[in-house]
Amino acid sequence: MTAAAAQRRTALEDLVEAQGATRATPPLLLPADPYFDLAGEEFGRRLLLTTATTGAEYCLRPDFTLPIVKAYIEDGVGEPAAFSYLGPIFRQRETGPAEFDQAGIELLAQPDGDVALDQVLTFARAALDLFGVSPTIHLGGVGLFESLLAQADMPAPWRSRIRQRFGHTEALDRLLTRLESAPELPRAEQPSREAMVDDITEQMVAAGLSLSEGRTPTEIADRYLEQQALDAAQIPPATLKLLRDYLAISGPALQSLTRIETLARAARIDLAPRLKSIRHHLDNLGEASVSFDANFSPRLDYYTGIVFEMTGPRGEILASGGQYDRLLERLGAVAPIAASGCSVWVDRLEAEAA
Amino acid sequence: MAGITLAVPSKGRLEELTREWFADNGLTITRPGGARSYLGAIEGLPDVTVRFFPASEIARELIRGTIDFGVTGRDLIHETSESGPASVVFAKPLGFGSADVVVAVPDAWIDVTHMHDLADVASDFRSRHGRWLRIATKYITITRQHFAKAGIAEYRIVESLGATEAAPASGVADIIVDITTTGSTLTANALRVLEDGTLLQSEACLLVSRTAAWTPERRALLDVVLTRLDAAIDL
Repeated sequence: MTAAAAQRRTALEDLVEAQGATRATPPLLLPADPYFDLAGEEFGRRLLLTTATTGAEYCLRPDFTLPIVKAYIEDGVGEPAAFSYLGPIFRQRETGPAEFDQAGIELLAQPDGDVALDQVLTFARAALDLFGVSPTIHLGGVGLFESLLAQADMPAPWRSRIRQRFGHTEALDRLLTRLESAPELPRAEQPSREAMVDDITEQMVAAGLSLSEGRTPTEIADRYLEQQALDAAQIPPATLKLLRDYLAISGPALQSLTRIETLARAARIDLAPRLKSIRHHLDNLGEASVSFDANFSPRLDYYTGIVFEMTGPRGEILASGGQYDRLLERLGAVAPIAASGCSVWVDRLEAEAA
Repeated sequence: MAGITLAVPSKGRLEELTREWFADNGLTITRPGGARSYLGAIEGLPDVTVRFFPASEIARELIRGTIDFGVTGRDLIHETSESGPASVVFAKPLGFGSADVVVAVPDAWIDVTHMHDLADVASDFRSRHGRWLRIATKYITITRQHFAKAGIAEYRIVESLGATEAAPASGVADIIVDITTTGSTLTANALRVLEDGTLLQSEACLLVSRTAAWTPERRALLDVVLTRLDAAIDL
């Protein structure tokens, strides 16, 4: 490490310590199951796994957020808490070593989510500043999209189907294309629900499938009928166009927000509270180059409000984070608890600075 | 190392068909020690060492570059490592060992005909059943890659090294990803392949390792063999 790099490292240590937060040092070796449970196989394939003699699977710490939040829940939730961290994490990557440092903060159960996010954004920018990087900031609005979806005119079951694909541009595009080209077919007459349930039950029994362990005959019949109904109950073309237009909005933040406002007004949809909160954060970001991309969202369904990424001159992500109020619930808390935080990729920052 | 190493499947139909294919192209693979020996040669090509390996190990060693070229299934190259296909050159399909890696669901799931149906079912499976949708398969890498592409993240893989088609009935998993040639095993187990559920079309291929230590001499030797087999590659 050069003297300059050592100095940057010390400055980052100081910044992490200065957050008025508890310094978290979760173990390097963690049970792998919670990660699979929370993030599924897609994240699971990035883990460095090892197996105990008992057969239990462990992984080298792939992030700080999950062990911090789990420990917080186990200690009995409720009190506002703040944690900061700096240390190695381990992930399989296409390029670069599997061990690298991350720094970050986690703010849990804070009374004001906007204030918390401000602190997170300030921390991320300060960290990048230490390495001489003035980033491009990309904002995304998970809450904004959910609010739009809740108010847009469409048969209710489509909402969760669309929400579930938010953040996966291709999958969402495929669904919208399918909806746009849905033919106006007269529906064939359906057998009664009862007859269908009987029929499915018979098939499942014949195949030796449990009627209760997995999908049940009524669940299958109901989804089948719902699907038929949905194919008939199409989403109005105006709504599909609204979604398309909305998702295509991307560019300098102020312009994007203005376009969203115009779009929402024309569709008589009220996004004012969400937009106001985004504008508030924009004001705090000041001079920075900020873009707002309507279709930007992490592919994890516990993100809720505003999400962000900061990229450097080479386009690499240097910091990412946001609000994830559903995370604590997903990890076992009994009620939603406000949470926001971010992590900073120290090795990429050092590469930018060196 | 002056010579080059060819890996050939060590047993069963795959070994037979591979040796037949080489013979049809005028190269006779010998196995002096019989089925219990794992070392062989090609008649008239003393610089080529033949090693007999299980097909999955051939895929692994080609990717690592410890053997230079060999015969194995396309599925195994894709499964062994995400970087597998980039680590080898597909020199020639051999026209046998054809099979598809497919997604199959219980016949009774009449509402699920396409991957997008599966995406819907997976997304609220946990809230309905308190656990993730489970997929039994030995094709973990291929499943993860294709499900990610299809936008399906809410599932868990249960590793299954044999009789995968029995997993739904035994309650180990809800659906399967498996390899099939005719589909009759799936049908017999009341399973149905999704209409867009073919993840990979596999067959036996002649493959060259990109990661092996290629010197001009060894490369020249390889080209001699490939020319005899009517295959050519860019490394």
